[in-house]
Amino acid sequence: MTVRETIENKDIALIDILDVILDKGVAIKGDLIISIAGVDLVYLDLRVLISSVETLVQHKQGTRNTINSEQFDRDREALDYAATQPDEWSHQR
Amino acid sequence: MGDLLYLYGLIPTHEATHPLPSIKGFDGEHEIFMLPKDDVTAIVCHLDHTAYSEETISDKINNDMEWLQEKAFHHHETVQKLAKQYTTVPLKFCTLYKNEESLRETVEKNMVKLKETFDLLDGNEEWNLKIYCDDEQIKQQVSESNPVIKAKREEISALPRGRQFFEKKKMDELINQELEDEKNRFCEDIHEKLKSVSLFGSIKKTWGKDVTGRKEKMAWNSVFLLPTSNVEQFLGNVEQYDGDFQEIGWKFEVSGPWPPYHFSSFS
Repeated sequence: MTVRETIENKDIALIDILDVILDKGVAIKGDLIISIAGVDLVYLDLRVLISSVETLVQHKQGTRNTINSEQFDRDREALDYAATQPDEWSHQR
Repeated sequence: MGDLLYLYGLIPTHEATHPLPSIKGFDGEHEIFMLPKDDVTAIVCHLDHTAYSEETISDKINNDMEWLQEKAFHHHETVQKLAKQYTTVPLKFCTLYKNEESLRETVEKNMVKLKETFDLLDGNEEWNLKIYCDDEQIKQQVSESNPVIKAKREEISALPRGRQFFEKKKMDELINQELEDEKNRFCEDIHEKLKSVSLFGSIKKTWGKDVTGRKEKMAWNSVFLLPTSNVEQFLGNVEQYDGDFQEIGWKFEVSGPWPPYHFSSFS
């Protein structure tokens, strides 16, 4: 098999497909935030696609840490809890 | 007819004599078909406007990952098959027209540009190259042999001990800066070399580790339009770079040929 054939037959990840099928309109800012500009969408709301790619990327990551509202809520609860606890260090002063 | 049209791609009408492969459309029921408008033929499928209303699609995309994944693959595979048979201007995911009339109008408005694009694409292929690197390994090299870093080290060693402490703290920042410069220099150099066998080369945004899910960092993301006859050479060059530089922390990954999403524009 030639180099070309080997590459052509390789499985393509969804992320690579999104990289091209959304490409011209997709800009990745930082690690996770994806924005879209100038996509030729006559019918679909642009915001629909933005959220789809974000969710998809998070979905693909599975167990890895992602920024999502549940995690954010959990963190906030933990902080709230910690903030209301008596300060165990205060008596040492 | 209340059906919407899902547009996959546009091809020159004179190539349309070659029959379409039999492919089920976006809904898995309606077949894809050709819709000619003078010299340009659109490849489309019908979509029921009630089953695929804006709300339904947006709901599916937001809440049904498997659906989205399946449809993104469907779009890709369909356009890929078209691009194998015809000179194709591929369309973005979920490009929908309300009816045949609105699609014909859009094609007519872009007729000149489309013909130019067909000429540009004929006999050429789009390939993608991503360069990954092991930051730690390259940082090590920068720290040991970068001339700016070396000079800074010497400068610091001549300072009184108290000041050395603070200057050394700044050193890490300087090394990181030099690391980024070094990476860019390296990738730009490769890019220029590969451009010499291509018609066009352009640089795309790199993706963060969270997106790629890899431990190496994506240092470069680029796309090339290559004459078909140059593809072997292009791939050979990349293979050679990969062999030459893998040991010092670089990885090259090529994919293609892609339908020319990057080097055609239809808007």
